[in-house]
Amino acid sequence: MKIKRIASLMVSIALLASMALAGCSGSGSGSSAAGDSAAAQPDSTADSSAEGESAESGAASGESVDLTFWTLNGRMSAIDPLTEEFNAANPDINVTVAYYDTDGIKDACKVAASSNTLPHMWFNWGGSLGGFYAENGLTYDLTEYAQTNGWDNKFSAGALSLCTLHDQLSGYPTSYNVLGIYYRKDIFEQYGIAVPTTFEEFEAACATLKENGVTPISTAGLYGWHVMRFVELLIEHYAGAELHDSMNTFQESYNNDAVVQALTKYQEYCDKGYFPTGFVTADPNDTQMAVYSGQAAMDVQGQWYDGNIVQNEQDMNLYGTFAFPSGGTNRMSAFAEMTQFNKNLTDAELEASIKYMDYIYSKESTDRYGEYYNLPLPTVDAEMPAGQPNVPIMMETSNTNGTFTITDQAFPTEIADALFDVQAAIANGQMTPADGAAKIQEAIEAYHNK
Amino acid sequence: MKQERTDRSAYLFLLPATIIYLSVIVVPVFYSLYISMNKWNGIGEMTFVGLDNYANLFGNDPIFRKALANNLIWIVLTIFVTMTVALIFAVILNKRFRGRTFFRGFFYFPCVIAPIAVSIIWRWIYNPNVGFINQFFAAIGSEYSQSWISDPKVSLYAIFAAALWQAIGQPMILFLAGLQTVPVDVLEAATIDGASNARRFFSITCIMMKETFVIVIANLITAAMKVFDVVQGLTGGGPNNATQMLSTYMYSQTFQYSNVGTGTAIACVMVLMMMVVIIPYVLFTAKES
Repeated sequence: MKIKRIASLMVSIALLASMALAGCSGSGSGSSAAGDSAAAQPDSTADSSAEGESAESGAASGESVDLTFWTLNGRMSAIDPLTEEFNAANPDINVTVAYYDTDGIKDACKVAASSNTLPHMWFNWGGSLGGFYAENGLTYDLTEYAQTNGWDNKFSAGALSLCTLHDQLSGYPTSYNVLGIYYRKDIFEQYGIAVPTTFEEFEAACATLKENGVTPISTAGLYGWHVMRFVELLIEHYAGAELHDSMNTFQESYNNDAVVQALTKYQEYCDKGYFPTGFVTADPNDTQMAVYSGQAAMDVQGQWYDGNIVQNEQDMNLYGTFAFPSGGTNRMSAFAEMTQFNKNLTDAELEASIKYMDYIYSKESTDRYGEYYNLPLPTVDAEMPAGQPNVPIMMETSNTNGTFTITDQAFPTEIADALFDVQAAIANGQMTPADGAAKIQEAIEAYHNK
Repeated sequence: MKQERTDRSAYLFLLPATIIYLSVIVVPVFYSLYISMNKWNGIGEMTFVGLDNYANLFGNDPIFRKALANNLIWIVLTIFVTMTVALIFAVILNKRFRGRTFFRGFFYFPCVIAPIAVSIIWRWIYNPNVGFINQFFAAIGSEYSQSWISDPKVSLYAIFAAALWQAIGQPMILFLAGLQTVPVDVLEAATIDGASNARRFFSITCIMMKETFVIVIANLITAAMKVFDVVQGLTGGGPNNATQMLSTYMYSQTFQYSNVGTGTAIACVMVLMMMVVIIPYVLFTAKES
């Protein structure tokens, strides 16, 4: 009897342990990360492994090449039909696509990387996000391929540069994005607000909007990065371009007066109600609703926002854009997007993957589905998208004003999360701006000392 | 007395299950323990660091301590609130009344919804601008308004309320099953002897449902330690880690920061905590029976 009891106890312990430890041992359990399973919408469940040894030969030997591609669900309406067309036109290549939301794809790729089940191709951003895969030797180094195939004449130098991470060209450039302030022209006109050209004018505009019951800035802090877009503009304002760049490359400490001033101003805006009520845990995918409905007047967005306006059947004439008047040259934050390729691709798979990317990002495809891309394409002969009037304005402004790398691509995720915690803590009155600046620097040092 | 002979062929039949059990439970558990003693980004070489990951968690990591405290609060709330409410519902739904089957299904229904869907539903219910709760207060003329999941003082309890809505169903069903095993004649005898309803419930029904309580409490504690989806979906552990749980922190460390050793150490701590609570409880109840 006693033995039975002990045996049943041991079984209970093992089951408990397995339940709690599930997902923590090295073998990943698929692509659907729990935190984003609501948004992750795998379109197919094809074998996602791109192991070189399991995908030998391919088209070169006359066999079909099966490819898997993970990308953002916001592009599904374009990628689905285009992939279908591509597969039909190329009977020796079969591409299957799985879709994830913005944060879902980050987690899914990390899980896949640790379990060696990355797809053949996956969407990624530049900076620290894409750099992780290059640094750990998980991406195909396209440097040689680019030289052989004249990518210098195909892609813009800036895009190639942003996709060059850890001394290797680690992705096929798909977009170059710049962020500015999108605003509702009609609301500005209604309250006699001119487009701000100085920081003081921007503050006056916010005050006028608030007095009239309009939330000045729509933002949402669930994942931190949307609020960060505004906080980094305040840091740019108080630090200036040179110091800001030095801080983002960790040559200068974040624990300085400029950051404290920026966080103090952010706290002031929180206290004045310049952001929506409860924005700290609001979903960033919902920020546009407040702007569309006229409850909020401004949103820090990239040039892709024109595409969103088209997709959501809003009146484009109501929307304008301007660079945040941070002082100096009013630089805008920028980031690149790319498709990374699995390091284990065979020659045939690489050729097929590039062919697929060339098709998806061809002028013909983008002309048909422009609102689902972050246009313009990062190519030397890129054309501005029709029906998206703010895109050329933003691209031109960024060329004139200059850009800085968006903070969550300049920072490793661990440090970016520390910044996000500081944003939330200051908004809720749990932390002073001085403590916030110190905490960010503390996280930077902890990261480098680990 | 003749001893029964062991049928050795029985072991052969156990072999397939043993292999599966070893490969998907026992080996991963020990491998996880090993990983927790290493510094590893999930891809490169592991570096053995002994118990450093544990020492850092308990000694230098305020977020871990916050998550630990939140999990303990969640366990206490689960035992006292979830179990109590589930038991009350079960007792009510065990009585005979018209529509009983409908109400059993009605209260069980949230249990079949995916936790991540629950978090989406409650995100809108809690929305401070257009959400049901604040709108309800406005509709009845109250000026009370709350940023339910953004306020660190109430966010944990707001998430618990959402989880409670979903979690009632399962223990309720278990209690219902347990209530139906209580012999009616014993209860009738107690009534004849003059026992009040409360006395009958606490002195007979609860005592005779001891095994059900064991199962419910063990399940609830395990679920409380593992709580993830609803937290991740509603706040992602925020604001400023106010709703951080061991599971969400484990996830961040493992899959977002690539600190796989630290993340696995958190998982091991979760297992130990569950064992500390559940094993003495199971042993105690088994001894009594």
